Amino acid sequence: MNHTIKIKKGLDIPLGGLPERTLIDVRCIERYAVKPPDVVGFTPRLLVAEGDMVAAGQPLVTDKHDPRLTLPSPVHGTVEAIVRGEKRKLMEVVVRKDLEDLKDPKNHKDLTPEAPVWWMIKERPFGTIANPDHKPKGIYVSLRDTNPLAPDLDFALKGREQEFEAGVKALEAIAEVHCVRAEGPHPAGNIGTIIASLDPINKGECVWTVNAQDVANIGRWYLTGEYRPERVISVGGPAAKTPHYYRVLCGACLKQLTDAQLMDNSYPSLTRTTNTTRIISGSPLNGTTVAADGFLGMYDQQLCFIEEGDHYDFMGWLMPGLKKYSFSKTFLSGVIGTLGNIGSLIPIHYNFNTNVHGSVRPFLFTGNFEQVFPFDIYPLQLIKACIVGDVELQEKLGIYEVEPEDFALCEFIDPSKTEIQTIIREALEVLRKEAIA
Amino acid sequence: MNLKWLEDWFEKIEPKGKWSWLGSTYEAFHTFAFTPKTVTKRGSHIRDAVDMKRSIIIVVIALIPALLFGMWNIGHQTAISTGADWHWFYMWWFGFLRMLPMIAVSYIVGLFIEFAFAQYRGHEVNEGFLATGLLIPMIVPVTTPLWQLALAVAFAVIIGKEVFGGSGMNFLNPALVARAFLFFAYPTHMSGDKVWIANDLWGSDAIAGATPMGQLATGTHLSASALDMLIGTIPGSTCETSVIAIALGAILLLMTGIASWRIMLSVFLGGGAMGLLFNAIGYNDYMQLPFYYHFLMGGFAFGAVFMATDPVTAAQTNTGKWIYGLLIGAFAVLLRVCNPAYPEGMMLSILFMNCMAPLIDHCVVAANIKRRERRALK
Repeated sequence: MNHTIKIKKGLDIPLGGLPERTLIDVRCIERYAVKPPDVVGFTPRLLVAEGDMVAAGQPLVTDKHDPRLTLPSPVHGTVEAIVRGEKRKLMEVVVRKDLEDLKDPKNHKDLTPEAPVWWMIKERPFGTIANPDHKPKGIYVSLRDTNPLAPDLDFALKGREQEFEAGVKALEAIAEVHCVRAEGPHPAGNIGTIIASLDPINKGECVWTVNAQDVANIGRWYLTGEYRPERVISVGGPAAKTPHYYRVLCGACLKQLTDAQLMDNSYPSLTRTTNTTRIISGSPLNGTTVAADGFLGMYDQQLCFIEEGDHYDFMGWLMPGLKKYSFSKTFLSGVIGTLGNIGSLIPIHYNFNTNVHGSVRPFLFTGNFEQVFPFDIYPLQLIKACIVGDVELQEKLGIYEVEPEDFALCEFIDPSKTEIQTIIREALEVLRKEAIA
Repeated sequence: MNLKWLEDWFEKIEPKGKWSWLGSTYEAFHTFAFTPKTVTKRGSHIRDAVDMKRSIIIVVIALIPALLFGMWNIGHQTAISTGADWHWFYMWWFGFLRMLPMIAVSYIVGLFIEFAFAQYRGHEVNEGFLATGLLIPMIVPVTTPLWQLALAVAFAVIIGKEVFGGSGMNFLNPALVARAFLFFAYPTHMSGDKVWIANDLWGSDAIAGATPMGQLATGTHLSASALDMLIGTIPGSTCETSVIAIALGAILLLMTGIASWRIMLSVFLGGGAMGLLFNAIGYNDYMQLPFYYHFLMGGFAFGAVFMATDPVTAAQTNTGKWIYGLLIGAFAVLLRVCNPAYPEGMMLSILFMNCMAPLIDHCVVAANIKRRERRALK
């Protein structure tokens, strides 16, 4: 079923480095990784060892709680490394691609949990991989990504219409599929906004969501049996040299892309942050920092380059601020922007950096979150319920309708610099663990 | 401008070891000079440029027109009463010299307590008092003795704010708590005819001179015209008289989005509606007063623009803000007209609605919860 909805509340952040609509097909990337920490609630158990040969679509890790849920290798190749972090937490399983693609001849007909594409289906509330035992009341697909510098999905899916149709057909065997085109400022395209405006989630219910590009990937697998998780990603940001689109496979090593994009003298590393660029896999509002030779996140479809802002700003609270962006219009830039930018005094796109622009304070101001939060939920009250850990109140105020990304804009505009997305994630994790137990 | 030396100096003097308990004070001064170089760690990688300091400083800037005019009016009133022929700048200078010690006392006492509490709790010093500390001397009579002012500031900061956990946790507007403290502790210094006009530069002697509200409460003839009250050339608390100067501040607050337009508008709507209701009854002279006179007299405009809109003590939901504002306006006019013991109803009306704001919000949020429950049952 196709819907069009209109959202009024929200904000399109004027972030510089908009990607140009040219698509570069990167076929020669050699290394790929599966990253279990990107999947909420997934406790990985390794199925392979270093040096093993794996086929595209072959499971590399499985969930300890539900062995049907697996994360498959995106390519045919050899397991090169198993990267562990603190407390031996499994961070990445790296696969080196073989020169020849080995076609998987098997032709699955049904979309079952054993299918290599199952991990692409996510479940709300909580944002985990879809639990095959649950009965979703609908499957939602957003046809627009409104995040800052996000890819234009129409452009990304050009030429894949047939696969997209097939993907919808495969999903329709499970539940009704709603393909929604949302008009309006961010977060209009967020799947949470869409669900909330069509049919909000009540306690005890669940819905499934799939990224539009993954619908096409599911469709390709459904039609041909080939597991090839393609992503057209937008690469941009104020610190990117030549922002445009790339076609890669999910989990691709980013070295080639970052080499082409990083300005001179700004090569980042994870240990040193001075005078460098931060590379973000995913939206600048909720993505993950990655190393220059790191890997694209499992569900991400954009890459953003932003200058680290670790420098002081003399009397920043008093200066007129022509080059600083604020939603609040407390800087001259905002006032001039309202008047129609007389004589182009202020930039159309701002060079954001990663500075917090202030220190953490208690919540003082009210009513600002509501302007960028298109839900029938009281955001400040819900955040406070999460801070004090009042589960009952959280449920009453609608915690099941939201994910951290829905609060990303609130966090962005918050003058008290509270880490709202983290607060919401932690509250949801408590509820999720209670739901399992 | 290269300020590397200052950045380095601050980093060098950062209190460590046995001095680390001074962290809050150091942080307050450091962040005053420089917006910190902290970068985002979790969540959104980019952040809006606004912070608490910027927001509060907008409030302080919005107060400046009323402050400057108030200083001039202090001199102007003294000149009229003593029959002195003063240049307009001397009038301002006279008022400036009267106001300066009051502002200094308010900031020194208040900030000392704020720093002490922040230090004791290991918190960062909150910027909220930068606005409160300026508001307090602006809403008291010019002849208020400095020791009384100091006591009121201390009471407001400790009992009005810090006992609840500091800025953001208080439920009463601290500046109005200070004024209410003076009003009830030293009534002779706060109302009547002999407090509004300073006699000389230094003493707390006053010249008799009634405010429009005082005249109305005692049933005497209103001597000021509507235009006088609009411009503000009337006796009154130091900086609350000029509706025009207050309107300039209101424009800044609304344009920057710092104050809620819902509250500001609804206070005037509530006051206007109550005024019209009294006009319809028309039982006595006060009731027959044109409704818009209430906006021009006393602290109505100042309270609506700078006091009712304090986001911490106001209702927090948008629906709640309408109810909160309407009732403040209505109660203020009700108190003025029906209770001559309190000629100025604005302060008490706002404080009362501060107490009611959590209840209003509770009802508004409860309606949202009900709606969600009904949806789940369907």
